[in-house]
Amino acid sequence: MKNKIVISVLAVLFVLGMAPLFAGGQQEGATEGAQAAEQDVVVYNSYWSDPEPKRVEAELMEMFREQNPDSKVIHSTVAHEDFKQAIRAYLTSSAPPDVLTWFAGNRARFFIDKGLIMDISDVWEEAGWNESYAKGFRAMSSVDDKQYFLPGNWYWWAIYYDTRVFDEYDIEIPETWDELMAVCEKLKDNGVTPFTVGTKYRWTAAAWFDYLNMRVNGPEFHINLMLGKESYDDARVLKVFNDYWGPMIDKGYFVESPASYAWAEAIPFMTNGDAAMYLMGDFIRDSYPEEDLEYLDFFRFPIIDESVPVGEDAPTDGYFIPKNSQNPEMAKKLLKFFGSKEVQEYVAEELGRLVTNNNVDTSVYNENQLKGRELINKADYVAQFYDRDTTPEMADKGMNGFMEFWQNTDQAEEILEKLEKSRQQLFEE
Amino acid sequence: MPKRNNVPPAVKIVLYLFLVAVTLIWLVPIFIAVITSMRTNADIMSHGFLAMPKTINLKSYVEAWQRGGLHKYLPNSFIITMPSLVLTLLLSSLGAYSLARFKFKGRTFFYFMFVGGTMLPFQILLLPVFRLSDALGIYDTYFALIAIHTAFQLGFCTFVLRNYMMTVPVQVMESARIDGCTELGIWGKIMLPLTLPAFAAIATLEFTWIFNDYIWPLVLIRSSEKMPVTTGLATLQGQYVQDWTVIISGALLATIPTLIVFIFLQRYFIAGLTLGSNK
Amino acid sequence: MLDAKTRYKLIPYAFLGIPVTIYLIWIIGPMLYSFYLSFTKWDGLTAPKFIGSKNYQMLLQDEVFYISLSNNLEWIILFMTIPIALGLTLAMVLNRDIPGAKTFKASFFLPMVLSLVVCGLVWSWLYSPHSGLINEVLRRIGLGDLATGWLSNPKVVMEAVIAVAIWRQVGYVMVLYLAGLQSVDQNLLDAAEVDGASAIQRFFNVLMPQLAPVTVIVIVISIIDSLRAFDLVSVMTRGGPYNQSSVLANFMYIEAFNNYRMGYGAAIAVIIFIISLMFIMFYLTRIAREETNA
Repeated sequence: MKNKIVISVLAVLFVLGMAPLFAGGQQEGATEGAQAAEQDVVVYNSYWSDPEPKRVEAELMEMFREQNPDSKVIHSTVAHEDFKQAIRAYLTSSAPPDVLTWFAGNRARFFIDKGLIMDISDVWEEAGWNESYAKGFRAMSSVDDKQYFLPGNWYWWAIYYDTRVFDEYDIEIPETWDELMAVCEKLKDNGVTPFTVGTKYRWTAAAWFDYLNMRVNGPEFHINLMLGKESYDDARVLKVFNDYWGPMIDKGYFVESPASYAWAEAIPFMTNGDAAMYLMGDFIRDSYPEEDLEYLDFFRFPIIDESVPVGEDAPTDGYFIPKNSQNPEMAKKLLKFFGSKEVQEYVAEELGRLVTNNNVDTSVYNENQLKGRELINKADYVAQFYDRDTTPEMADKGMNGFMEFWQNTDQAEEILEKLEKSRQQLFEE
Repeated sequence: MPKRNNVPPAVKIVLYLFLVAVTLIWLVPIFIAVITSMRTNADIMSHGFLAMPKTINLKSYVEAWQRGGLHKYLPNSFIITMPSLVLTLLLSSLGAYSLARFKFKGRTFFYFMFVGGTMLPFQILLLPVFRLSDALGIYDTYFALIAIHTAFQLGFCTFVLRNYMMTVPVQVMESARIDGCTELGIWGKIMLPLTLPAFAAIATLEFTWIFNDYIWPLVLIRSSEKMPVTTGLATLQGQYVQDWTVIISGALLATIPTLIVFIFLQRYFIAGLTLGSNK
Repeated sequence: MLDAKTRYKLIPYAFLGIPVTIYLIWIIGPMLYSFYLSFTKWDGLTAPKFIGSKNYQMLLQDEVFYISLSNNLEWIILFMTIPIALGLTLAMVLNRDIPGAKTFKASFFLPMVLSLVVCGLVWSWLYSPHSGLINEVLRRIGLGDLATGWLSNPKVVMEAVIAVAIWRQVGYVMVLYLAGLQSVDQNLLDAAEVDGASAIQRFFNVLMPQLAPVTVIVIVISIIDSLRAFDLVSVMTRGGPYNQSSVLANFMYIEAFNNYRMGYGAAIAVIIFIISLMFIMFYLTRIAREETNA
């Protein structure tokens, strides 16, 4: 009796369970049929999973549909971290998405060198990008003078600070290292922790390494280190750790237990006055509480050695087309759309990021964007960011090294030896 | 169990209160999850995660359903989970029946094969299985996910069901055999009904596992229209900004089906996982 | 037409046909392929390059491997003791007719249903050094010295993560033991009591042997879960700070998918597989003995 009930329940479950499968299968068949008839489907996968960029992208897709009523865009957003893992499946599948978001520079180059990315020199030519994009961006997108990538937008890194705290203690913006150290000392004396930082996901620590290494040893050395051409146990690297970074940590210039916090979880230290500064990218604005936003400002990472060229981090994101794209025509059309003045202006206005097309009217930028743009324009060299400039595997080892150093500031030498071992292993492979 | 009355009532009350206290502490993280889901992101950003909520509302649940895409991800989860569940149970009971009831060459081998397969950390199968599904032309379809879930869970289910079936007395089947019942008939008419409690038990577990799986869709599915709720919710985690309240409300909503399944099958679950202990 | 005897011999294979085929194609095939990959260098994009046992050599020199291994061992030991003790105690208490037994059972099982992402998130907040509940409570009750960054202090981070896993696991073990208690022969217990056996004697000499089959299942599941432990670490610490909370599955995933060293990752997976097999061997040999005796 009881068994009969269970059997009937299981039977119902079975029917319920299998029905959607067939329904789903049919639906799939139907859309595929429609696709075949239409021919103009473009599949676009992006990693813009933050709330604001996600909204803007949805609006862009709507715009594209309006402009191209005969075509169909299938747009999927994939979580940023997940996307980085999924991309290898995308690029090697027989039916990859037609357009993908990706990082400019070394990380794009990696796939281009493997022959997985479509040559889009024709798009650059037709869209007039060769003229309307700065040389730097063009070079970033080219291999052997052929273009494979479209840079979309970028942002800058700087030291962000709360103007209320600076005003209260009558602090001037520090321009040199000594000035910065004096500011830290003053803040410390007044019971304010100079810097907040949340290093749970490690890259915030990498930003400190990027800047200290570029300021102390210059961007050229830094980039060569990123490319595996310099060694981590070099005395110059050790100097960064033992003479600059370590003392800051030892003197308590950073909040306690930073590894417990994700980067945004460390923001409240700033808004409630416990800490004063944060070395961060401009996206900090998206997470900063609205009522405190007017007190948030930034300044350039102070100069340590005046004889060294100035390097800044300004990560650039963009798009490319996988080699196996099923519909390259439409993919290129979508790419042209992303690179157009109109879309770029829209992104600049809505997202507060900086865009790449020179034809964009600078009046779309607000004061903050203009200040950031100037910061980067004044730089002698623009780097992408630690985990974009070096290889993913080296970045992983390196960032672990930074975390270990943060905990054990007296072991710089041992840690760098370990990193050097990894570098030899990873770059020799 | 019969009640033993050799414990003084006062001690009993104290122990009972202790149990209540432990239970409440046990539930603290869940309370926090529920309360956080009713706050706003701005409130969290400026006051921290564990502050007293300034506002309490259910808006984030609506957000999760609409903007978070739960309305499309949740049905996908069922489209993937139900067939996988049914197929796994059906196929593993066939295999388990054979392994439990017959003596034949390779019996130990097949049994070890099923058990061994469950030992492998499945993450390493991701790329090979992706290649396989791409070669079979089912990349980016529900079929790929159903196939891998069914296959992967076969090992554990076969293991449990075989152990359970070993406990069914041989005589029951022998008499059916003498009555002229076919082997398929014995499986369907005798074994299946007898193993139903174990079925219910593993169905509960399997439902939880398959429904909560997060990684396979990442590799086998390309378009968000086909993503299940776990992977779909993850898209609310940005590179820099996380939509905490919506993520948590979405995740809480997504546990409701599992909870229902558990409550519904709990009775059988308890009865079923005896797992041959009376052997 | 085959004679009846041959046909009878073929029956078990017929039953196994479909499940084994599916299993071979989707699990065993890819698994063997992974074994092969562990002898190659593969970035997941171009063709794998055979490099012999180099991955294993590197692995044996990799500090993170040993950290992960010992973390896994710690996980196994804690997982085989605390949840079993707590789960069994709860099961025995809740198996009696006490008021609200169902609510208690559901409460302890609830963490099991909650998604790992939510568990990880909420516990990270509880563990937060500055405003986390745990440190707040410690400070209030005068144990402020114990307050620390639970997930950033390399000395306690692993235990902090395992605690969450145990929090989830207890309810599961409890349910399994509740199931086991259903089939315990009450007469034996009563007889032992009449014979004057103490409660402790009754527990170890009468009850535990009867629960042995459940215990075996619990242990098998605990070992598999411990060695495959992945999600919580990945949500709460990603193995950090600097690999101090790394476990093998996580180490493998990071190497294979974050660092794109598929061959190296496969080698780690093979090691996990071998260790699992070693741990599970005692169970399998028991089965094997059973097979030959039967």
